[in-house]
Amino acid sequence: MANLSVKICGVELKNPVIGASGTFGFGREFNELYDIGAIGGVSTKGLTNEPRLGNPVPRIAESRGVILNAVGLQNPGVEHFIKYDLDWLKATGTCVIANVAGKTLEDYKTICEKLDGKVDMIELNISCPNVKSGGMAFGIKPQTVEEVTRVAKSGAKNTPLIVKLSPNVESIAENAKSAERGGADCISLINTLTGMAIDIERRRPIIANNTGGVSGAGIKPIAVRMVYEASQAVKIPVIGMGGITCAEDAIEFLMAGATAVQVGTANFTDPLAMPKIIQGLNDWCDRHGVENISELTGTLQLNGK
Amino acid sequence: MKDYIATIVKNERIAENIYAVTFDLGEIPTVRAGQFGDILVGGTHLLRRPIAVCKTEGSQVTFCYQIKGEGTKMLKTMGTGTTLNVLMPLGNGFFVEETEKKVALVGGGVGVFPLISVLRAYGQEKEISAYIGYRNKDAVCGVEEFEKAKKFVAVTDDGSYGEKMNAVQAFVKDLKAGNTFDVVLACGPTPMLRALKAVVEEENLPCYVSLEERMGCGIGACLVCVCDLTNGKKARVCKDGPVFNASEVVL
Repeated sequence: MANLSVKICGVELKNPVIGASGTFGFGREFNELYDIGAIGGVSTKGLTNEPRLGNPVPRIAESRGVILNAVGLQNPGVEHFIKYDLDWLKATGTCVIANVAGKTLEDYKTICEKLDGKVDMIELNISCPNVKSGGMAFGIKPQTVEEVTRVAKSGAKNTPLIVKLSPNVESIAENAKSAERGGADCISLINTLTGMAIDIERRRPIIANNTGGVSGAGIKPIAVRMVYEASQAVKIPVIGMGGITCAEDAIEFLMAGATAVQVGTANFTDPLAMPKIIQGLNDWCDRHGVENISELTGTLQLNGK
Repeated sequence: MKDYIATIVKNERIAENIYAVTFDLGEIPTVRAGQFGDILVGGTHLLRRPIAVCKTEGSQVTFCYQIKGEGTKMLKTMGTGTTLNVLMPLGNGFFVEETEKKVALVGGGVGVFPLISVLRAYGQEKEISAYIGYRNKDAVCGVEEFEKAKKFVAVTDDGSYGEKMNAVQAFVKDLKAGNTFDVVLACGPTPMLRALKAVVEEENLPCYVSLEERMGCGIGACLVCVCDLTNGKKARVCKDGPVFNASEVVL
């Protein structure tokens, strides 16, 4: 039995596998299939100050090896979450990461204040591609990444702040550095890539929102490259995600520089994906004589070096 | 709810573009009429196919599906002995109250199959009339099941089998002839359900409709497959539905 626990910003996770925001709700549904207390953490559905109804349907489409979604941050609002879901989620024993989004800088500050000290970590969604003012505006340019991070951190004084980076940018390394300069305690990446899928019979995009965020197995090489570049650029810990389907995928991200990983789309293909990945990580470590999984982080050696 | 490793025991064409696949789950599942399963066809498809349960017999469960996209095209080529992951049972299903004795089933297209599950569940204790619409005679299927109802009216859009009308018109015709019902259960294309909703509201009849929507997780976590409720809220088709009180849902 390998030691799968990892520490991020002083918070100990039982293992480095976290349910990715938007694919896992607040954990209740998956808990009907397995004890979610056994997974490293849950990043909640993106929360906003006010409840949001989200986008019209269809909200999802498929393309080979990937899916596209545009849910549009439907959520019951942060106060509803605190009142009705937070205690339950904490009681499962998993690490609670509140994913938050805002329309304005002030939004980001107030939502962080509301959650400060109540959750294990806060993950800043500054990269949702599916709503006009859902943070994407903040997530593109290094200057605004820094600014929104600083403002959010002023609200999250006692809670580690993760900044979730968009891949739809000029330089992932620059944006990672900006988040670090703004006071981020950790970064997570990648959010979805913006894409489109067309129904050729109707000559219209399948998704009502026209474009959607691309996720799933097919985006993994892009994500691994970006996690590598970002982790080289910053000193703060990195949480990697993008197309992770099995333990071996997760290990790639760890070697590329991630301390932990998030699993999203794979939960749709196989609702038991995360427990299987955790078991697979343990088996891989045992087979390779790795006693502590944290030893794997950033061990990648580039060819020719 | 369980992710079964299900073995195909039969997978055959039952009408034009419609196939029926029967799986053996290895154990007897607990399934209510109108619930569905989420079938992983695999390949490059990351999403499962949510399909209504048509019938269960012991450890065997049958789903009927229309060939629509690449996933269902793949499914139809899968032979006996193939194993697939099937997550089920999902959704709420149809409930017929103790006090509801006379039940009307109104179905069209692939929506007829969950109604077969209702007939199988309640056929003994309730007086069921089925009004089933097909595109044409080549699309007709499930007749041997619907014939077990107290009354079965099959109609087609082109009049090539039964009268030329749709399922809602067939239902209305019987209403006008003086037939009464305690509850109406329906599944089919949205325009059909919309037309039916107008009728049952006029007649003041309780009505439950089973909806279809593109799904993500299938278990209520991802908020992909929502529908609008008349109270301004959203509901998850996979978890809060797929069956809704027609008066509470916007069609």
